[in-house]
Amino acid sequence: MAAYNLSNRVYSKIRPLISASMDARYMLTRNYHEKVIDHYENPRNVGSFDKSDANIGTGLVGAPACGDVMKLQIKVDENGKIVDAKFKTFGCGSAIASSSLATEWIKGKSVNEANSIKNQDIAKELCLPPVKLHCSMLAEDAIKAAIIDYNTKKNKEQKSN
Amino acid sequence: MITRYFIRNFSSITPLCHQFIIRQLSSSDHNLSTVEYEKIANETLESLTDAFETVLEKHKLPSDVFYSDGVLTVELNKYGTYVINKQTPNKQIWLSSPFSGPKRYDFINETWIYKHDGKSLYGLLNKEFSNIFKNDKNIDFEICSYGKNSQ
Repeated sequence: MAAYNLSNRVYSKIRPLISASMDARYMLTRNYHEKVIDHYENPRNVGSFDKSDANIGTGLVGAPACGDVMKLQIKVDENGKIVDAKFKTFGCGSAIASSSLATEWIKGKSVNEANSIKNQDIAKELCLPPVKLHCSMLAEDAIKAAIIDYNTKKNKEQKSN
Repeated sequence: MITRYFIRNFSSITPLCHQFIIRQLSSSDHNLSTVEYEKIANETLESLTDAFETVLEKHKLPSDVFYSDGVLTVELNKYGTYVINKQTPNKQIWLSSPFSGPKRYDFINETWIYKHDGKSLYGLLNKEFSNIFKNDKNIDFEICSYGKNSQ
């Protein structure tokens, strides 16, 4: 009984602290922006192309150990225009939304235009919170990696011709 | 042991990305054990917390510095929010700056370096905070643990 009283007294002392920290936690909880949820629930351009095809560039970035892997592929026509793009992402909602948006944006653009897409543009469009900016960076890296892969293939092709 | 764990993990998830595995393995610093990383990263974040508090107190900027579970959040009112966090799986420290966006820092030559431009975490913070507090010529994050001027 004495122990119960004691624990009760201790609890009433620390309770304000507990509820204060819970308030702080509540304030820190942010909801995803509706655009993120939209892309997460209806991801655009999910899928993959044959990566051995000469017109396909494949970018694979991220680290499975950290929980984020992103594969983004571009299909480029003879004029250097990206006619189609596909992605597959294992990761958080923001990572999925960032790559989904990235494929939407790069479709119809030239390779050079796509290369100039910045992570800030993606983060701004999706209203990503500070801690999730890394996801938009991953999408930028994926676009760049896909373009590099495509260019490497083209260079090899030219050399062999 | 860790290397083996990595390889198993990588190959089970994406067998097609062996090139990527090699890149990942060769880029990570093998001299740094997980225990060492934990110690260094914790020290870094704790000393950064102190440094942020000192600077913001000095300039009386309404702000909030919050460190818990390896995540340091610095809310700078109208300027935005910094998030600096431990990324244990790849032994990095991640930074999200309201001014310059996201960066990933590796522990190279006894300090935290962003491999893309070779610049240090403390260098970037010095630059950005000197920009906020233009009249203060004494902003120096290099005094934090593993900085050039650490005590």
